[in-house]
Amino acid sequence: MKRYALCLALLLPVFTALVGTPADLAYAQSPTMSFFVTSRPIGDGGNLGGLAGADAHCRILAEEVGAGDRTWRAYLSTQARPEQPAINARDRIGDGPWYNFRGEMIARNIAHLHGDTLELARVGNNMTKQSVLTERGQIVPGLGDFPDPGSRDWDYVQTTPYTNRHEVLTGSRPDGTAFPPDIDFTCDNWTSNADPETDLGPRNYGGEGRPNAQIGFTDRMGGGNGSWNSSHGTRGCSQHALVRTHGIGMLYCFAVD
Amino acid sequence: MRPIEFTALLVHLPIIALTAPQLACAQDPAQAPMTFFVTSEPIGDGGNLGGLAGADAHCRRLAQAAGEGERTWVAYLSTQARAGEPAVNARDRIGDGPWFAPVRRPDRPLVKSEIHGDTLVEAQRGSNMFKLYTVTEQGEIVNGIGDPLPARHDILTGTQPDGRAFPPGEDRTCNNWTSNDEGAAQVGHSDRVGHGNTSWNSSHATTGCSQEDLVSWGGVGLFYCFAVD
Repeated sequence: MKRYALCLALLLPVFTALVGTPADLAYAQSPTMSFFVTSRPIGDGGNLGGLAGADAHCRILAEEVGAGDRTWRAYLSTQARPEQPAINARDRIGDGPWYNFRGEMIARNIAHLHGDTLELARVGNNMTKQSVLTERGQIVPGLGDFPDPGSRDWDYVQTTPYTNRHEVLTGSRPDGTAFPPDIDFTCDNWTSNADPETDLGPRNYGGEGRPNAQIGFTDRMGGGNGSWNSSHGTRGCSQHALVRTHGIGMLYCFAVD
Repeated sequence: MRPIEFTALLVHLPIIALTAPQLACAQDPAQAPMTFFVTSEPIGDGGNLGGLAGADAHCRRLAQAAGEGERTWVAYLSTQARAGEPAVNARDRIGDGPWFAPVRRPDRPLVKSEIHGDTLVEAQRGSNMFKLYTVTEQGEIVNGIGDPLPARHDILTGTQPDGRAFPPGEDRTCNNWTSNDEGAAQVGHSDRVGHGNTSWNSSHATTGCSQEDLVSWGGVGLFYCFAVD
């Protein structure tokens, strides 16, 4: 702990220049902040307490930095169940535009965010490693920042905050809609922390008996595509399983107003 | 204390990036051939590359120095139509692929339709064209936003997002890569950060074609090289 405090003191000017005001003073996020990625997960894998629990997590984190006066929603889809229609993440987050901690626009509107036309999709939105900031203005450690053999182990990762953790839960397809109901891509609509009975190894995402959540990348790198909202699935829904592919269960939060 | 500890450790990130940029990819024993790279150095005369032929020769020279001179290398550049001279589309120059970046991962191909977003789903999802793979023939990261200055992430392409030339008229190719003065060049970003989009091949245009003009925008006149065979 002393070492960290010393580092903070030594590097304060660097930190201030790069990401704004230090955390132990005041958060100086832009008053326009209407988007962030959560600085910490709920911590129970894919069990977020449903959409309501996820929205509450967004709200709590926003309140902690004095941005609780907006209506915050987690960018998550749920899949259709008997007498319960699917919910599309893209339909939950308002119309935009949305701005990050620094007041930079990350997307003009829903169509820009998702690339609804070929022209929009080819050029892309402004979701980048440098702009997908937490509610505290932090860049999320991503692929290649600090390669560490412990980065796939939750017990290690939760005490080593610089390991790669670039995967964000979305449960969504690239266009921001929910998956069809047959294969689980949402950890049972964000209520499950279950894993497959045996670990099936990498790239065996979803299917019968395979609890799974679709994720995207904060740094737009990995998974063969670099998608911010729909790159690939997870190895299961426990906190430990999420970490095996470099996520810790973080969420994108958008203000609808 | 927990939030402070978290913050303090995140502070290390820029420092790590300053001192030890390195590749995180798992080492795969079966390596793919290198058939794509970003030039480690520019020609150095702004947008005057000596035309497409001069740019191709630069690709070949750098590839040779890296021990990959056996292939047919071309620069990913378009030229605009002139009287009696049709346009050339960058995407039509580079063969069919798939190509592999200098990280040589066979499971991470650059697929022609994916890098250009030929279908809506491909365009929305993206490709393997990202900072850890858009590296030089020496395998070095090209400095981008968040790295030590100066940024070198503006990559000359003269190309629209679909890989095709701009219509004649407004210059986007520094007069078909012969001008180091008047004109403009369309560039992409090797780190896919900047100008409000994530395009690797068509993010914005420069103002001017001198070496100083390119530098003022965050580039030095690097370009992408692909092996046709």
